Amino acid sequence: MNSYFASVEQQANPFLRGKPIGIIGKDQKRTIVATASIEAKRLGVKTAMSTWEAKKICPSIIFVPGDSQKYGFITNAFNELFLEFTDRVEQFSVDESFLDITEQAKDYFGAAWIGQRLRVRLKEVCGEWITASIGIAPNKLLAKLASESVKPNGLTIIQEEDAIRLLDSQKLNDLCGIGSRTAKRLNGLGIMNFKQLREFPIKELVDEFDSLGFWLHEAAHGRNDSEVNSEETDPKSIGHSYTLPHDTFDTALVRRYLLGMCEKVAWRLRRDGFVAQTLSVYIRYGDFSGAGKQCVLKESLSNGLDLFHVTWRLIESVRDPSQPIRLIGITTFHLSRSKPTMRLFSTEAGSVFGEKKEQKTVSVLSALDKLQHRYGDKAWTRASLLPIELKERSSGFHYDHEL
Amino acid sequence: MHEVIHDAVDVLATFADRRVRPLHMRWNNRNYAIKNVNLVHTAREGQKKIFYFSVSDIANYFKLRLDSETLEWHLVEVYANG
Repeated sequence: MNSYFASVEQQANPFLRGKPIGIIGKDQKRTIVATASIEAKRLGVKTAMSTWEAKKICPSIIFVPGDSQKYGFITNAFNELFLEFTDRVEQFSVDESFLDITEQAKDYFGAAWIGQRLRVRLKEVCGEWITASIGIAPNKLLAKLASESVKPNGLTIIQEEDAIRLLDSQKLNDLCGIGSRTAKRLNGLGIMNFKQLREFPIKELVDEFDSLGFWLHEAAHGRNDSEVNSEETDPKSIGHSYTLPHDTFDTALVRRYLLGMCEKVAWRLRRDGFVAQTLSVYIRYGDFSGAGKQCVLKESLSNGLDLFHVTWRLIESVRDPSQPIRLIGITTFHLSRSKPTMRLFSTEAGSVFGEKKEQKTVSVLSALDKLQHRYGDKAWTRASLLPIELKERSSGFHYDHEL
Repeated sequence: MHEVIHDAVDVLATFADRRVRPLHMRWNNRNYAIKNVNLVHTAREGQKKIFYFSVSDIANYFKLRLDSETLEWHLVEVYANG
């Protein structure tokens, strides 16, 4: 989708159409431009630019706070629409999907017709202002590159024989899968473009990048055998990161936000029937440096308070007290679908009292989960979290309210 | 100017073809004739379904919230052109 969040806002509010707008996060001062409208991009505003920088470049820009529920609804709407064309649809991010139309299209002429038809249906279902750039190609890698080559509202067809020409007109990190760090490492080997990447000995690529070396070699030839995967798979990790309202040394404040985040992560674990075996934390300081640590849990967890105790210990062990904290991130992984381990040796060291307390916690959590299912995430909170507010975030890959 | 509010409003709407379409809104003792329904989306609050209507008249954008359990309408956003 083109300038997705901004286009949805312009669809909703016609007085924003044709104007440079930037969709921003929860906090006007410490936020970035999550999406710039097509008009703002033309004036030099880029995605992920800080709001002050965007305002400097484009004084007339209008900042609109993001509304992830609205964007999530439209994301679901267009993904459902895609099922009219094929049942092989893979949602790649909040505004990108792959469709395998090999059988339906028969040939490139058929694929172009489907592309045109899709644009018409998109307009009918989502609105006139929400447009997409479509790339049609023999594989996902080239289709994505093709879709990005003409914006907005493009329809680009790349046949196998066009692949090299398209690749050679792009920068290395234009290709999905080559990030800035990989591009830098390639540059270090004297590889500045796809032609040089193709000509580089594959053995040396593999020596440098392991299995990624094979992938890079194939990608430079426009080859990629990754299939459109329409099956939902279990998540590999569940986590939450949050930028605090201001950089802080205040331990009590950091602990409150951390507890709130742990409760959110724990709720998602319990709701989806997972327990976590491994945990990692990350803190970013005011100067954007950071520290992190990971640990394997003795008991699998899905209780927010337990997660909080472990994560706080990790943070304390790596935190530089001379630096103010800007952001906290926690991630649980090695998820399994089993019941949380009952702690045999809790604080009361295996006493009958400790066991009873543990059982009480389990039944209270179960009751609170039922409440949350029925009335939503504002149904209950811990008293210690009342002074803070964890606001909704939007990112390129998911929406908070759907997590 | 963009404003986020939560004011109870009276709305005259049609219910036809399984769709709700707000036609007129009364807010602050003024009537507003809704010219366009630009976007409709839903959200969940627990099991409760909330409908949001992004609508406009000739000079204003309004976001209306309809609670499908209580059938209460609220005006939650206003944007005045200019």
